[in-house]
Amino acid sequence: MNSIAEITARKEVIVCAGAGGVGKTTTAAALALRAAMDGRKTAVLTIDPARRLASSLGLKELSNEPVRVGKRKFTAAGLKPKGELYAMMLNTKTTFDEVVARYAPTREQADRILANRFYRNISGTLSGTQEYMAMEKLYELHAGGEFDLIVIDTPPTRRALDFLDAPRRMTDFFESRVLRWFLLPYMKAGGGIMRFANVAATTFLRIVKRIVGSEVLEDTAEFFTNLEGMYDGFKQRARDVAHLLQSDVTSFVVVTSPAEDSVAEATFFAARLNEAGLPFGALVVNRVHPKIGDGIGAKPRQRARLESGNQRAQLLAKLLANEEAFMRVVHLEERNLDALARKIPRHRWIRVPYLQREAVDFPGLVAIADRLFG
Amino acid sequence: MLLEEFLDPKILIVAGKGGVGRSTVAAALAVVAARQGRRVCVTEVDPKGTLARLFGSTAPSYQPSELSPGVWGLSILPEQALAEYLEVQYHIKRISRVFTSTHFLDYITTAAPGLKDILVLGKIWYLEQNRAIGQRHGFDTIIVDAPAAGHMLSFLSAPMGLSDAVRLGPVRRQADWLVDMLRDPKRSRVHLVTLAEEMPVAETLETSHALEKRLKLQQGPVFANGIYPALFSKQQRDDLEDGSGETAVGGLIEQGAGIGLKLDDEDVDALVGYRDFLEARRAIQARYLRRLKKETPQPVITLPFLFSAGLALPDVETLADVVEAKVATL
Repeated sequence: MNSIAEITARKEVIVCAGAGGVGKTTTAAALALRAAMDGRKTAVLTIDPARRLASSLGLKELSNEPVRVGKRKFTAAGLKPKGELYAMMLNTKTTFDEVVARYAPTREQADRILANRFYRNISGTLSGTQEYMAMEKLYELHAGGEFDLIVIDTPPTRRALDFLDAPRRMTDFFESRVLRWFLLPYMKAGGGIMRFANVAATTFLRIVKRIVGSEVLEDTAEFFTNLEGMYDGFKQRARDVAHLLQSDVTSFVVVTSPAEDSVAEATFFAARLNEAGLPFGALVVNRVHPKIGDGIGAKPRQRARLESGNQRAQLLAKLLANEEAFMRVVHLEERNLDALARKIPRHRWIRVPYLQREAVDFPGLVAIADRLFG
Repeated sequence: MLLEEFLDPKILIVAGKGGVGRSTVAAALAVVAARQGRRVCVTEVDPKGTLARLFGSTAPSYQPSELSPGVWGLSILPEQALAEYLEVQYHIKRISRVFTSTHFLDYITTAAPGLKDILVLGKIWYLEQNRAIGQRHGFDTIIVDAPAAGHMLSFLSAPMGLSDAVRLGPVRRQADWLVDMLRDPKRSRVHLVTLAEEMPVAETLETSHALEKRLKLQQGPVFANGIYPALFSKQQRDDLEDGSGETAVGGLIEQGAGIGLKLDDEDVDALVGYRDFLEARRAIQARYLRRLKKETPQPVITLPFLFSAGLALPDVETLADVVEAKVATL
């Protein structure tokens, strides 16, 4: 059993992380597919808009709730799943609305927050909100206990780092003293004494007001006033998610390609996991050029002679040039990967060479899953 | 098309999904412009140090530094752009520190969405107008290595969206200046970069549509990156097709022997294997290139796969050669 098979058989949460364009979403889907084949009730949660994932799973579109992948899809590919496969795509704004509605102390307070302009801006766009809501969703799905395994796909690496910090950063954000201090003149509870105590902030605010306008500041202050009473809940769930991610029911799968920059990202990410005490499970190296033979090493002189020869000779010259070019890539990729091996031992690696077909449909996804599990 | 004409807008915005080689194309365009004797500035807005790696130089900071002859680089962080804005606009120097040392900017930019993007675009406007603080000379070409696709559209549309949040005042007027800068085809143009694969092509087509219909920005040729070269002529491919049989493989060994190159069975497997690999990848790429060419109104410039696994300046120069040659045929 390779490390990937072990993880999908035992864990409750798998987090896939890596740079953009390395096949992270596809890997997440393939892991979930295999777990479902093996009898687990599995949900794959993707964060970036991934229409192709929907179509490769035979779903019209992915929604903010898990949707089951039909049995017929499996049957058509000649498969008999022992478990069930569900897929969903995070809608940040909808999830945030749900969180507010669920955890606000009163219905009126929830409505006030939902109608606030500042809230409407942050719920869709604030950097970090997406990651934070992914965590809320993960928490909800895991706490619900409906699934044996949840596979979660994250945004590209630098932001995957945010992903880990998101709950803490967001609770800090909502609770900021600095912000309160600045906004006091706008907070209804402020009153005369507060205003007096806060002359410096007022001066500062005058400049800010000139830049963004006073409405923006009023909206912001109103939002934070309305958020009173919800902080403890935010913090509690942030702690719970952090515990879940550090516990041994979770495993992180780092996805990379052998290209220099994505290897750098993967190395960075592996170090981060280590630092944060998060359980690393496996490294998936996608898009590797295949190594065929050990390099022929024809001499330039020999190639030149072939090039000036007859048609068959010229053909051989081209074949040699092609082989040499690919060997060069293979060696360069190997060198990049060697650097990674110093951080992640090779027995935790799964290499997926460039496939001759793409995972654009269900059978394609099945082919990838087969590769991953050796 | 003449290179002069190609380089006519001062601002070239290079955009695309993560992993498609956006920074590499930005660097190649910078080299193309520098070869025309222009002073070029490449700006990174999502600094990852890629530019520094490509040019083999130290990572650029907020002040332009020369990366290679004629090419300057700088990375723009919104906090620094805000400090500069306050200094230029309100002659405030001291308070900038309060802004940057607290997370105040985070809150305020959150309250007014897109403000961070506007600050970054504002810096590009300063550069375009040669009005940036400490700017010793003007630039003829400004290449913007845009944020990755997901964020790119909101980045470029930020000034258009600001009018909802701020209806009056200097900021509103300045946002309008940015809209003018981006929408004027004589001043700005967007180039999308993609790979010839299913997902990047689908995303490129969507982005291109949005740029045209929603943002109304001018687009130039799309760059399809990492295209495996055509190695074999049709005749040669046919020969090889027949060549799976004994004779042709034997033929290869004989040909080799004729020039003193000893090929064993494993060598022949490698020669045939890599040929098959190349042709299979080319077939996939051809399919998505066809789709790209059919569905985008922009011309498509293909850039070769460079048989490397991390690029450096010589590769950038090679790509610049290709861009020059292909622009000439447009």
